[in-house]
Amino acid sequence: MSATLTFARKRGLDTETWLQRLIVAAGVLFLLIALLMPLTTMLVKSLQNTAGEFIGLSNFVAYFSNAALTQSILNSLNIAIWTTVIVVSTAFVFAYALTRSGMVGKKGFRILTMLPLFAPSLLPALSMIYLFGNQGILKDWLPVDSIYGPVGIVMGLSFWAFPHALMILITAFSNSDARLYEAAKSMKTPPWRVFLTVTLPSVRYGLINTIFVIFTLTITDFGVAKVIGGQYNVLATDIYKQVVGQQNFQMGAVVSVILLLPALVSFIVERRVQRHQSAQLSSRAVPLQPQKSPLRDALLALFCTLVCGFLLLVVGMAVYASFITFWPYNMELSLNNYRFDMMDGGGWASYFNSLQMSAWTAVIGTAVIFLVAYMSEKIKPMPTARKLLQLLAMLPMAVPGIVLGLAYIFFFNHPQNPFNAIYGTMAILVLNTLVHFYTVCHLTAVTSLKQIDGEFEAVSASLKVPFYTTLRRVTLPLALPSVLDISVYLFVNAMTTVSAVVFLYSADTTLASVAVLHMDEAGDIAPAAAMAVLLMLTSLAAKTLHWLISHQILQRTQRWRQC
Amino acid sequence: MNTSTPYLQIEHLRKSFGSFTALDDISLDIQEGEFVCFLGPSGCGKTTLLRAIAGLEQQEEGAIVQAGQDVSVLPPQQRDFGIVFQSYALFPNLTVNDNIAYGLANMKIPRRERQQRVQGLLDQIHLPDIGDKFPGQLSGGQQQRVALARALATEPGLLLLDEPLSALDARVRLHLRNEICALQRKLGITTIMVTHDQDEALTMADRIVVMDHGRIAQIGTPEEIYQQPATEFVARFVGSMNLLPARVLDHRNLMLGRKEVQTPLILPVCAEGTLGFRPECVQLQDGPWGLDRDEHLVLQAQLDQVYFMGAFARLEMTLDAELPLVQVDLPVEQMQNLEAGVGQSLWLSIPKAALKFYPQAQQGGERYQPHAQPAEMSMGVAAMQVAGA
Ligand SMILES: Nc1ncnc2c1ncn2[C@@H]1O[C@H](COP(=O)(O)OP(=O)(O)O)[C@@H](O)[C@H]1O
Ligand SMILES: [Mg+2]
Repeated sequence: MSATLTFARKRGLDTETWLQRLIVAAGVLFLLIALLMPLTTMLVKSLQNTAGEFIGLSNFVAYFSNAALTQSILNSLNIAIWTTVIVVSTAFVFAYALTRSGMVGKKGFRILTMLPLFAPSLLPALSMIYLFGNQGILKDWLPVDSIYGPVGIVMGLSFWAFPHALMILITAFSNSDARLYEAAKSMKTPPWRVFLTVTLPSVRYGLINTIFVIFTLTITDFGVAKVIGGQYNVLATDIYKQVVGQQNFQMGAVVSVILLLPALVSFIVERRVQRHQSAQLSSRAVPLQPQKSPLRDALLALFCTLVCGFLLLVVGMAVYASFITFWPYNMELSLNNYRFDMMDGGGWASYFNSLQMSAWTAVIGTAVIFLVAYMSEKIKPMPTARKLLQLLAMLPMAVPGIVLGLAYIFFFNHPQNPFNAIYGTMAILVLNTLVHFYTVCHLTAVTSLKQIDGEFEAVSASLKVPFYTTLRRVTLPLALPSVLDISVYLFVNAMTTVSAVVFLYSADTTLASVAVLHMDEAGDIAPAAAMAVLLMLTSLAAKTLHWLISHQILQRTQRWRQC
Repeated sequence: MNTSTPYLQIEHLRKSFGSFTALDDISLDIQEGEFVCFLGPSGCGKTTLLRAIAGLEQQEEGAIVQAGQDVSVLPPQQRDFGIVFQSYALFPNLTVNDNIAYGLANMKIPRRERQQRVQGLLDQIHLPDIGDKFPGQLSGGQQQRVALARALATEPGLLLLDEPLSALDARVRLHLRNEICALQRKLGITTIMVTHDQDEALTMADRIVVMDHGRIAQIGTPEEIYQQPATEFVARFVGSMNLLPARVLDHRNLMLGRKEVQTPLILPVCAEGTLGFRPECVQLQDGPWGLDRDEHLVLQAQLDQVYFMGAFARLEMTLDAELPLVQVDLPVEQMQNLEAGVGQSLWLSIPKAALKFYPQAQQGGERYQPHAQPAEMSMGVAAMQVAGA
């Protein structure tokens, strides 16, 4: 009996379990090296002097005794609060119109609002220059002296952050329960009271969530403030100036730590709120059918037209300006601005670098993120390691791009780091971008995996089929739509991001989004706009391809989805 | 059937989730070819025990020996079983054929033979023509049978079913009960089915394992479980029973409420307990005369309500204001002869063999308050009788 027992013990850990353990361990190791260790290194740097000696909080004392620097904290807060108020209130009405009104043309409005997602955040800033700058076409409409400053930043950020807010709020409004409205109606409740007592409470969590997401996005933004901020410094641009302008890495680390704080706080609040939201709706809720109401619908349609008009104006201005030969003296249309090889920033090579970087990020990122999500959701061994994996996967959301980029310098540029070799290569750009956008992709993967029956792994074990076969034959095909979503999300964001990669490119790996920044710095605003437009068009093309694949090909090959 | 070496031996199994003990010292033997049901209320650990047998949960203590081999620490891949889950867990992107052949693919069986085996299984579940459909195109009952065929395809030595019928509507459920039983008898495969439905367990199983809070309350054939419930919990859970709290006066006499009665039972030495008997074992008598008190318990009760239940009539009677109502089931024709009106006093007799006495447990005794669930009880009786068990 005891002989069979030891025999059984030995065979207990079979190759499959070992493989699973190996992948989980690799996942944890990956996130430790690519995320946690760089951040820790940065924290340590903020407590060191230039010689690398530990000096406690002296850097922070120096920072807070410099009024010019601390002013940026107030500036950042100011920008974030204004943008959040404007974006959330606009998106609230817009989401209400799309989900609860009988307005016509909802689909068209919805598509137009997605536009900013495909543009680099530098694009609205460049548009602002053409619209309201010294030679802007709408210069006289501007109530303040100059667009370079808080007004420009807030307008540019509002454009860029709007679709993010709208997405969350549409989800919140969609979780309606018609039975509550019928009950209210049967009690002859006036509409404004229905709104206050039924509608508002049902979107409460979504609204709080939106506020925190937008606040985080805007307080950590780098691109818009860099282009149109002028003398108005914010935290993210301070980091850039400390590091690139003054080579003061320690102070860069200090500002980064300060910028991490609000992001971390709002991240924690947001996670809490998220938990409430999912538990809110009962499974027996009846979805609400929007009613027609001519006056209200007409007013809402007018509002939506104005908002979409603004979005189109911003995009259209950049596109138009990119074709103008020499603003404002030679208004003839030409492709002169697209001859990037004549300008700073790396020319067309940087565009192809961007394409290459985005493609790698999409391919590798999707594979890594999906595999890690699969391991953390569907596999039994090593529960503690899997918990850690889930926790680490949530962290990138709280880390501003520019902070992550700086952390990468500290960690990977260290001569003793064995990974030092990837510094200055395409690999570090891919790694950094992947980690920067990790969380949203991870959540997408986890959500779709959770919808897949949890017993598939048990069934295949009972049929002696290894887990990777079931992953390939069943789980992956079932999750294919979300896998495609993840890859296009990674591609588009890798194309348009500036903040994290601005510290990490080398002469051989210049990127298009960074080129926009440099051309703008050099005063070549029109070519900068042209490159930004090109990035937007590329992202739109990727999205169109994604749409074609998911709507045409999936429908033909995945016949079972129709039943 | 070889009764000397059981096919499956479970010895002192213990499993906890954090501080919660889900399985507490479970020991059980199952013979080859036997159909065993794990029966118990939701949350009592049935699924956990089934998953431990499959290797999907790892127990902290105890051993599992299957077909002479100690499988206690083997992963599920290395054990020999087929399983059907409550959700069926059919792969929605594969056709019925591919679902059933899923486990055959890596068994190095020639393609033709594989197809034959799949078709044979489809014939056995009486769905020969659905091979090219996807699970989403099938009804719940069909999906259930496909899941069964998939579990049987690799010809496992042990079939595990976790509430396989609970997601179906009542008619389909009755039909599939018979079909599963017939298939199991035909194949002679050792089968364990988890259910919280007592009718299912009573009609399908060779033996029933009644579970309560992670422990085994009783193991026995359906007749034993129904006629000789070992504990008050089993009595309450299986079928329905009148359970009257009683104070023991001496070895033959009880206080039921404010009434002193003589029982035909020899009572154990204790202070309090519960007297139980099934509603259908009660006989109405014209009077207390001529009844042997060594063979019958004789009670007088007042008729409260009469419910027509179809095949029988349910009488609710008050024995004593302090006691729960006593339920008596009578065949309808007997009821028609009875000329009793509500409020009238009647004499009841219960034969000794139908009487149970459960001494009150010293600790945890209040877990089963006598008054706890009279409403559910009466529903249970009806279901029991309709099912004809
Ligand atoms: N993975 C788990 N983690 C924590 N508790 C669990 C887990 N699985 C089951 N339990 C608990 O163990 C108890 C028994 O569960 P289960 O075996 O599923 O009950 P049954 O199948 O009899 O309804 C329940 O109280 C349940 O909450
Ligand atoms: Mg269960």
